[in-house]
Amino acid sequence: MRPGDGGILTGRTLVRVICTAGSGALEYTHAFVSAYTADHLRGAIAQRLSVGAYELLSNALNFGSISSDIVIELIESESMVGVRVSNDAIAARVSMLTEHLLKLKTNAEQTFLEELRRSVTGGIPRPMLGLARVAHEVGLALDLQVQERRISMTAQCRR
Amino acid sequence: MSQFTAVPVPKAETVQISLTAPNQVKLSGTITQKDPAQDLAGLFKALHTAAMADKLAEVRADVSGLTFVNSSAIRLFVDWATWVKNERGHRYTLRFVTSRNVTWQKTSFMALMSLAKEVLAIEHVT
Repeated sequence: MRPGDGGILTGRTLVRVICTAGSGALEYTHAFVSAYTADHLRGAIAQRLSVGAYELLSNALNFGSISSDIVIELIESESMVGVRVSNDAIAARVSMLTEHLLKLKTNAEQTFLEELRRSVTGGIPRPMLGLARVAHEVGLALDLQVQERRISMTAQCRR
Repeated sequence: MSQFTAVPVPKAETVQISLTAPNQVKLSGTITQKDPAQDLAGLFKALHTAAMADKLAEVRADVSGLTFVNSSAIRLFVDWATWVKNERGHRYTLRFVTSRNVTWQKTSFMALMSLAKEVLAIEHVT
């Protein structure tokens, strides 16, 4: 990652999928987005965005409000490409995410290891390995935007 | 008679599983279901129990063909390594056969090594 890679991603939306929580929502939406990225982007970037799409969507489905739609978008600018997932969430969730992102920005590898350890021992709050994977494993820069109850998490990288 | 090879293999939607030797399990495909533990936790536990009963020196888990897994699936590999690590007396080496070309395998198994290096080995096939 380089300085500025974690800024707000603005650009062209390549694909937008709206889904609601339900059986198969995660698997089918992820399969569609992954197939699209594989067709339109370089292999390594497609693989990274596939992990980002899955984990962001999984978070939204597991922790977001079930009464609102979840929107997943693939966005590209001249230099960056990323996946953004938007959903409604309660204030406590937003605080937890903000804190977690700060840890990831400080040291993604260490946070990944901690979450891996916590996934064995359990504990509260629940282990958040997914976002740690996105930041450490596939090296995508994470950015969280909050507007009242609506949150948008973007995972992006250079093209 | 080998208990390892007698472990029943579940049919999972996106992942193909086969026991390819008296101490080897091969997984390929993708693991995307929300709760992969339903299919795989029981299998890994049964393989661990059988490996202990067979007094195997090593179990090879070939995951080189697993191109995508979710974080819940990674937890299952961590669990397996933890079971071996927590055994008293005889224990086997759990060798993960991985591919360098698959991103999740590089970082996840390197991290897993740091948690249970005394019982793990990593081998790269590509």
